Amino acid sequence: MGLAVEVTNVSRTYRPKGSTIEAKALDGISLNIQEGDFVAIAGPSGSGKTTLLNLIGGLDYPTSGDIMVDGVYVNKLSQVQLAEFRLRKIGFVFQAYNLIPTLTALENTEYVAFLQGATRQHREHDAISILKDLGLDGYTGRKPAQLSGGQQQRVAVARAVLARPKIILADEPTANLDSRTGEGLMDLMFRMNKNLGMTFIFSTHDRMVMGKATTLIKLHDGRIEA
Amino acid sequence: MTIFIRIAWRNVVRNPARSLITIGAVAFGLAALIFLKSFVTGADHQMVANYTDLFIGHIQIHKLGFQKNMGLDKSINNPYSLARSLLDVPSVKAWSPRVKDFALVSSAENSAGVLLMGIDPINERHLSTLHERVRAGRWLEEGDDDKIVIGRQLAENLSVGLDDKIVVMSQGADGSLSASAFTVAGLLDAGGEEVDKSLAVITLSAAQDLLVLNRKISEIAIKATSLEEVDRTVKALRDKIDGQQFEVLSWKEISPMTYQWLQFDQVFTGLILVIVLLIVSTGILNTILMSVLERKREFGIMTALGTKPDQIVFLVAMESFILGSVGALAGGLAGYGLSRFFGARGIDLSAISDALNSFYIGSVIHPKADLASVGLYVGVILVVSVAVSMVPAHRAARLKPVDALAG
Repeated sequence: MGLAVEVTNVSRTYRPKGSTIEAKALDGISLNIQEGDFVAIAGPSGSGKTTLLNLIGGLDYPTSGDIMVDGVYVNKLSQVQLAEFRLRKIGFVFQAYNLIPTLTALENTEYVAFLQGATRQHREHDAISILKDLGLDGYTGRKPAQLSGGQQQRVAVARAVLARPKIILADEPTANLDSRTGEGLMDLMFRMNKNLGMTFIFSTHDRMVMGKATTLIKLHDGRIEA
Repeated sequence: MTIFIRIAWRNVVRNPARSLITIGAVAFGLAALIFLKSFVTGADHQMVANYTDLFIGHIQIHKLGFQKNMGLDKSINNPYSLARSLLDVPSVKAWSPRVKDFALVSSAENSAGVLLMGIDPINERHLSTLHERVRAGRWLEEGDDDKIVIGRQLAENLSVGLDDKIVVMSQGADGSLSASAFTVAGLLDAGGEEVDKSLAVITLSAAQDLLVLNRKISEIAIKATSLEEVDRTVKALRDKIDGQQFEVLSWKEISPMTYQWLQFDQVFTGLILVIVLLIVSTGILNTILMSVLERKREFGIMTALGTKPDQIVFLVAMESFILGSVGALAGGLAGYGLSRFFGARGIDLSAISDALNSFYIGSVIHPKADLASVGLYVGVILVVSVAVSMVPAHRAARLKPVDALAG
């Protein structure tokens, strides 16, 4: 197993609008994540969990330092190259589900596969199959507004997994779910990690979720706790 | 791209009230523009048709230089051999030889300068509508060599009526001063000063005798099968007739002011088009901009998932295109339908018919729908609807996913 992610001395500072003072979200952190790992990034609100996931996922650039994902320095890619990188290598599961509101569950699931150029027959077959596995076979034609929070998050997981990315980044995936649904979702992601060999990195401050992880990285004030 | 077309369509129908208002504004603007264009085209067409039919004809053939400087020295010697060339041009519907010169007409009380026209009473009936404009008395018949038809206002100025005698004086082609007395047979009321105040018509033979022209004439006036055929007919005639000796002029060259008026109308319609486009583009821009601002997060999701900037631009442009095309289709159909309906039925403007008569338009206007213009305007609306979306589209495409997702 090689390295899925290599973060070297990464900092990220922000200057809030109207302020002259810079706030440090990440402060010179370094870490490695192995391929196929099931990693939890834990820490209180404001510790830098989401910032770290955004940087690994190529949604944002670090202020300094290097981030290598699957052999690619993401901090050196242009916006257009980053879009292609995210499309091919990263699957996202967001805290607020973030499904496209005008598309049905099936269409949302196959959206990334569509962008990747998969044929309609192929992506529809895979999407229906994965939605069935996630217990959503009766909901394929529903739009996000017609689904519960747990159902929407399962569609988001299906969308992330269907595209067969190297890494799935999940930003507090259970934060808006009740504990039973959240645990079910974690079990589902764990199963996929084992069955499909994808690297899962998720942020959380939920002890139950941390307990499911094979690797735990703790952040506090933008630094890794020893 | 099918998924983006699907998303675009669903976004348009997601906010039906806003989309309908935008589509309605596009449709109303375009329908009004098409109807206005048809109305102006119809009125212009009627004006040109009535004006040319009244007495100038669609085309005139003169000796070279006659139009610029009218005079008997520029008379056509052998008109009937020249007229034979006309027979080979199928779009020539009718023609008539004429003599034209300036003359002085006098009654017992007054005198006035006029345009004296000698016409062939039979041929002229096929060419001009002067005979229909006789409001008192009658039109000239063959052999009426001692009769004259004059404008109603001219008769008032001369204080003469039907059957009164007036004297026409002019300089003959041989330089002699010639004069003849004529009896007023009819009074013309054409609605325009050009005829009513300044025209006197006698028979061709009477004019040739008075002006010592023998068999010579001043011009051959021609009517084409339609106004649209005039330019082609002029070209065909110029190919046949010796350009060193004769000039072949269309109504546009004979009456440049009328032609300039039409061009002014075109500019005016163009100006209205620009105003309509501004209104339409502002409406579409407003809708699309609002939609993009409201959906920042959605664009952030799409970008985060790997959607390329050009795909986002396509999506936003497609939404704008859908709004523009539905509006353009509705407006095009409504504008064309209204124009066709009123084109057949006519719009009665008799309340202002005196003013319209002065422009030879008539009191009932028949809008003339032109499919080419409708197609052009619909096309322009479609192009504009996509063009204005480029600003919000690029704004959406440039959104950084991390900022957009943060709201």
